[in-house]
Amino acid sequence: MSHKAAPTAVIADDERLMREQIVSRLKEAWPELVIVGEATNGLEAVAMARAQEPDIVFLDIRMPELDGIGAARALLGQCHVVFVTAYDQYAITAFEQGAVDYLLKPADPERLKLTCQRLQERLAKNEEEPNDMDVLLDQLSRRLGGEGKSRDYLRWIQASVGSSIRMISTREILFFRAEDKYTRVQTEGFEALIRKPIKELADELDPDEFWQIHRAILVRVDAIDQVSRDFRGQQIVQMKGNNEKLEVSRSFNNLFKQM
Amino acid sequence: MNLPNENTTTMKDSMREIWQLTVKLWWQFFDWLAVVPKKTLALSMLMVLIICNMLFNDAEALIPIFAILILIRVLAGGKRRAELTADAANKRADTEQLERNLLEARMEALQAQIEPHFLFNTLASIDQLIQTDPPRASRMQQSLIRYLRYAMPQMREGSRPNLGQQTALSSAFLEIMAIRMEGRLQPEVLVPDGLKSAVFPSMMLQTLVENAIKHGLEPKAEGGRLEIKAEIRDGLLEVSVTDSGLGFAPKGAGGVGLANIRERLKVLYGNKAELVILVPLDGGTRATIRVPYEVAPQQVAPVRSEGS
Repeated sequence: MSHKAAPTAVIADDERLMREQIVSRLKEAWPELVIVGEATNGLEAVAMARAQEPDIVFLDIRMPELDGIGAARALLGQCHVVFVTAYDQYAITAFEQGAVDYLLKPADPERLKLTCQRLQERLAKNEEEPNDMDVLLDQLSRRLGGEGKSRDYLRWIQASVGSSIRMISTREILFFRAEDKYTRVQTEGFEALIRKPIKELADELDPDEFWQIHRAILVRVDAIDQVSRDFRGQQIVQMKGNNEKLEVSRSFNNLFKQM
Repeated sequence: MNLPNENTTTMKDSMREIWQLTVKLWWQFFDWLAVVPKKTLALSMLMVLIICNMLFNDAEALIPIFAILILIRVLAGGKRRAELTADAANKRADTEQLERNLLEARMEALQAQIEPHFLFNTLASIDQLIQTDPPRASRMQQSLIRYLRYAMPQMREGSRPNLGQQTALSSAFLEIMAIRMEGRLQPEVLVPDGLKSAVFPSMMLQTLVENAIKHGLEPKAEGGRLEIKAEIRDGLLEVSVTDSGLGFAPKGAGGVGLANIRERLKVLYGNKAELVILVPLDGGTRATIRVPYEVAPQQVAPVRSEGS
């Protein structure tokens, strides 16, 4: 980060009006600042910042391709980052705790002036980003991205219906049952055939959501109506809204042990 | 002259009261007889027999009475028992209906939440337009007002949400998003006027539209089309939202909005309605809601008082 005569900045926001807004307000708050580029998504912002080597990047948090947090991570240690957001509760709390610069849209002139002063001081002292920046970015992307671990499980089953593909939410599904080359997906209202074998499904589905009760059967735990025994002592599972009897094979018997 | 008359009336009254009490007690006894387990019945008969034996030393007289009771139990007990269970079931069904209404109201309120991110971004955009393009700022603000008016929970009594209101809400939302996203959003609304009076649950269409923008078009650099379409097919009202966006990630978290729609449809229509999500041949996503076609009763126009 070399200190130049005139400070430079890149602005990234997917909405043109928002870019215009920050450019015009920066012009008033910090007339010496030169805007060397405007990006419309995170990837563009990173490429532009690497090419132009600005002192500061103003990053909108929600952007296509790569969000503001991801762009900041890619540019870690290269320039000062100021996050811009209209509303992101989590992010703002995190920014305040981590002493990261941020602006709220629409930028309030007084607040913007303060941010600019702070940036000028940092540039003058050639100060680095706060040390915990990468930790903070990890934390942020987890929070903005959703519930973490649950993201990796299969939540939608794709089944071809005519010429298009129907997306079936796992919350709709009662059970999967292997049938010849296919796997039958059974919901309360309809059934569909997919090619994915039970074994693969068992690996990809959330084990808390679906239980394997048989080599060829996976049932959604929340949709189990009752478990009974037939005359041979075989455990039989019945699902809500469907009267098909599903056998539990011996090796899975301990799933339904009495408490 | 009045006094004896009054006396006889009180006499009659108390007689009637006693009679009513007897009848009431008899029916209570009968109900008990109908539902009491056989073992308990046999046991209590035995007890009565023993007590009578000890008190009067003459219990044989009770045997015909018991025989009659057993006969009643066998002949009429079944019917009475069925009646009682049916009553209980009716009561339960009433409570269930109430619980369902409550559940639907709660889920509707959940779905009716206005996205703060949308609201603040739109206000920031209006702020910018006020300085650069005031007429456009005004148009955008009017769209926002229209959006908010329709998005407020519809509390008015007796008015069921119709497709017209729901389309107006989403159209206002799309007008705003089209200004903000510029060329990246090309919306199209194909809802025939004739279908606007059809009953359609609130905020469901809007959830589909918001999903299409948030997960389909906004994250796609070049954006794309969004189409709202309504038609009647096989006697069902079919409302679909199609976007040419990124498409569905099978492992994506979320989907809370869609799960909420599915639950609400079930509460409102049982198995007569559905939400179907398709990936069309040329990519993107199409979400379709099918509900029974029903025309909302015409709302009585408010009477305008003279001079207002």
